[in-house]
Amino acid sequence: MRSFFQRALLIAALALPPLAANAAGETDAEVAAHAAALDLGGAFTNDGFKLRDGDYEGTLQPGQSVLVQVNLYAGNEYWFSVATSDPKAPIAINVYDETGKLLKTNPYTDAHRAAAGFSPDNSGPYYVRVANPGAAATYCLIYSYK
Amino acid sequence: MAMLALTGAPAWAAALVVPQTLPASALAQAVQEDTFTMPTPGELLAALNKVGKPNWQAQYRAPIPTAYTSRPQIALNLGGLIADGYLAVEAEDSQQVQNIGRDIMTLAKTLGISEDILRRGKSIEDFAENNEWSTLKEELEATQNEVKLAMDQQHDEELTTLVSLGGWIRGTEAVSGWIANNYTPEEARLLRQPAIVALLRQKLAALPEKTHTDDLVKGLDSHLSTIQQMVSFPTTQTPTQDDVKKLNAAATDLIETITSKK
Repeated sequence: MRSFFQRALLIAALALPPLAANAAGETDAEVAAHAAALDLGGAFTNDGFKLRDGDYEGTLQPGQSVLVQVNLYAGNEYWFSVATSDPKAPIAINVYDETGKLLKTNPYTDAHRAAAGFSPDNSGPYYVRVANPGAAATYCLIYSYK
Repeated sequence: MAMLALTGAPAWAAALVVPQTLPASALAQAVQEDTFTMPTPGELLAALNKVGKPNWQAQYRAPIPTAYTSRPQIALNLGGLIADGYLAVEAEDSQQVQNIGRDIMTLAKTLGISEDILRRGKSIEDFAENNEWSTLKEELEATQNEVKLAMDQQHDEELTTLVSLGGWIRGTEAVSGWIANNYTPEEARLLRQPAIVALLRQKLAALPEKTHTDDLVKGLDSHLSTIQQMVSFPTTQTPTQDDVKKLNAAATDLIETITSKK
């Protein structure tokens, strides 16, 4: 039943005309995802985290995931925050080290937003995996550090 | 157990399973986005501030020329100046921030991208006068992103790589200079960043043919190759003070090449 619902949503999404783009070249869905991610990431600034002025956006189909490389510094604390444009479309986030090992992170999840917080032991490359367990969705990934 | 439960499940259900490990082939295909994958100088300085109390003024350099004619050289030095701006903000040096802000605007003008950046320059000056250091860090990062955006808009995309490169190498010069003179193993381990240099070299190799004909750009890869070896040590290894001095010498050599008036 759920599978049928997911597929129906995907077919409907694919049948729709492209969403209107705003002046900055972002679609309405990207703007909504960006705003939701900033809303979540902004909460960490209350704890002294600085929001990085950069993001990674895209669209994930059901079951798809994307891996994004980041380069981090030992001793800093990081929060990676992701949100989808659709408040009913869940999203998952995980962090891996440079050997591909899943790291234990401080998790946060609500309806269509998720975050992973951690402090790396070593400086170097890490990988953030964003996965879509639900309907096709536009997402926005941001991070903050202190 | 999780796999059994998913037998016969739709494809999207696979995303619910979090892999415990990712193969090297997956890591090799990870997205590398300039404004996300390349850390800002501010992130490195924040890490260093946690293990010591660096005197950033000691890492200032003499003002650089601002009358270059080669666009790649201007882009490289623009990146370097933005890194200088971070140092001045960390040192909470209002006058130095304003001086550097003016140099950034001068170089931006010669690239024809000043209109978008001038507003930002005025903000930098105002925030520096009011000692708003936290806001200034955000302004510098926004300035760097706006410079890159303006370059994209005027079809100078290749120059954005050079801005990132100039910023990273100047940041590395300053930080390695501090650590070389105030050595602790913990600080030295912060210099490990193999993927950043690999990414910069990869982007450099992908620059258009016309940019590669620039004499300065031609020589960059050999410098970066040397530096890559120095910052690619294993996580179990700690660079010695001598190693850090060598890295600092290599970064200084490259910065001198970049700033030398042609």
